[in-house]
Amino acid sequence: MTESVSPVPPTPATPEPEERRSRTQGLGPWILLGPPGLWLLLLLVLPVLVIFELSLVPGIRPGDLVNPSGLDNYVEILKPIYLRVILRTVGFAGASTAICLLLGFPVAYWIALMSPRRWRNALVVAFVLPLWTSSLLRSYAWITILRPTGVLNSFLATFGIPQLDLLNQNAAVLIGMSYSFLPYMVLILYSSLEKLDRRLLEAASDLGATPVQAFWQVTVPQSIQGIAAGSLLVFISSLGDFINPELLGGASSMTASRLIYNQFLGATQNWGFGSSLSMVIILAVSAAIALLIRYGDATPKT
Amino acid sequence: MPRNPYSRRLFLQQSVAAASGLALSGCGWRLADVRPVAPSGDSNKLYLYTWAGYTDRALLQRFTQETGIEVVADVFDSNEVMLAKLQSGGGGVYSIIYPSDYMVRRMRDLGLLVPLDHDRLDGLDRLFEPYQNPAYDPENQYSIPISWGTTGLVYNQARLGSDPVDWDYLWDNRSRLARRLTMLNDPRETMGAALRRLGYSYNATDPEEIRRAYEALRELRPAIASFTTDAWRDRMVAGDLFAAMSYSADAVGVEEENPDLRYAIPRSGTSLWTDTMAIPITAPNPDGAYAWLNFLLKPDVAASVTETLAFATPNRVAYEQLPPDLAENPSLFPSEEILAKCESISPVGEATAFYNRYWTLLTSA
Repeated sequence: MTESVSPVPPTPATPEPEERRSRTQGLGPWILLGPPGLWLLLLLVLPVLVIFELSLVPGIRPGDLVNPSGLDNYVEILKPIYLRVILRTVGFAGASTAICLLLGFPVAYWIALMSPRRWRNALVVAFVLPLWTSSLLRSYAWITILRPTGVLNSFLATFGIPQLDLLNQNAAVLIGMSYSFLPYMVLILYSSLEKLDRRLLEAASDLGATPVQAFWQVTVPQSIQGIAAGSLLVFISSLGDFINPELLGGASSMTASRLIYNQFLGATQNWGFGSSLSMVIILAVSAAIALLIRYGDATPKT
Repeated sequence: MPRNPYSRRLFLQQSVAAASGLALSGCGWRLADVRPVAPSGDSNKLYLYTWAGYTDRALLQRFTQETGIEVVADVFDSNEVMLAKLQSGGGGVYSIIYPSDYMVRRMRDLGLLVPLDHDRLDGLDRLFEPYQNPAYDPENQYSIPISWGTTGLVYNQARLGSDPVDWDYLWDNRSRLARRLTMLNDPRETMGAALRRLGYSYNATDPEEIRRAYEALRELRPAIASFTTDAWRDRMVAGDLFAAMSYSADAVGVEEENPDLRYAIPRSGTSLWTDTMAIPITAPNPDGAYAWLNFLLKPDVAASVTETLAFATPNRVAYEQLPPDLAENPSLFPSEEILAKCESISPVGEATAFYNRYWTLLTSA
């Protein structure tokens, strides 16, 4: 009995720690990736698949049988009226990106390069502070400012300047969107400009470059990844923005997100068409994010 | 130690099984299928899903005092939103909902409403005759009318300089109204107003008539600031808007906030609506729901609600208890002559698709 038992323990004793290590090493990533993976699967992948399935059912409304039968909902999007809505959406997103870049770059440049060093963090925080209030509240604030008898016009009136009628127009939507997303742009540009190599600017001026030349040939190329990342982020956010067009645009600014809302919760229910529109937006945003990953991380060229 | 790979395999097996089950069931599932649920044990709390302005703190407190049931009211601003919330499963807490006439019919056809047990209700015979047997819900089988009214125009007399007496006014004065007008965010109401202006019925089913109504609204569009059901009020009071299409229940009382404001019922007729109370099949607290229905059927409660919240009661006994200035208020209780020209919005069947298509064209342009 002792003979048969005694030789057994030593043999597995040697491979065991080895095996254990490899097993735990193999499991490590799974344990770490498990919860977020499950989260993504349940809350992102599955819903998108359901939306995709619904987008294949023409004219489906709640209570109908889900019976995917074709691409009719996608063909519907190609109608001129909907193409115009999509074009308007992209136009809003592009314009607010441009406005944010134009307004955000000087601010970020000033905070990163010209402001006193000890104030920098406080300045960045101050600029991000508006994000702490609800975006809904900020849109309502703009209604109060822009309406015909609002703050802006009362201000203009005291100086005898003609009144502006901006609310319920495209201008109001652009103002609201640019305001909402400007902090993101500034934040990203700031973190990019902060890393700017100032010696190159000094070298440029030593070699006779004017400030304008130095800006275009040294500063911009060095911060191009920040510009790309900030622009794409603002573009993506504006593309899906619902609150600003809905509250500030009135009857004149139907965008893709408002159209999608109407298909699900509005008067003209059609979950199938709403789903196909959503899929198109998801695709467009995914493409933009792919661009962001591809170009947002590029090594700076000097 | 060896349990881990096993559980991983098990996890994979199970998820594959679940995924294939999902794929299989994908062929035949019903979108947002709403099924009745067993009543929950908590009968001391009642959730209402109602229109903004249909309840106030005093009313809810009085109900709690009389019945011991705590009550919470959430609000919606359109029938469609209420329906969508219920259908998507987000309305499971509500035991009382407030659908309008045509929505009662639609929800009944979708099987979303519980037939009411009339033995448990007291005071149905105190309703005005027409409301004891309304066309949208014969014999009040599924719903109890709580208020009725018209759709008309709230306008700023000082800014307009004249009084709109009919729908025509909007078209005749559209340059003066440029982006100073709001219309209801409701295809049947807004398209209906255009139909009525052209001399057609609110419930037109002829595609050609609906198309003409759309063309008329397109003509009016530069005057329309937005399509909204209730967001016009503070802009109207501030003087930003000159006119707003509105339900009479929302319009009563605006004069007190701004003396320039008036409410007009278009002379050629408008839509006549009834809001009701009903019990959804998902109601967790049917006992509380019946208590609420009986509470609001009491004449003194209905009368005080009419006074404080300003909506016209269909309760005859309550109407007789009203102070004369309210009972004779033509915005709240219009004359028989005008009512005769009004129509109730009723389901239009296949023609709904035309309404929806032109509505999308109108709002997307």
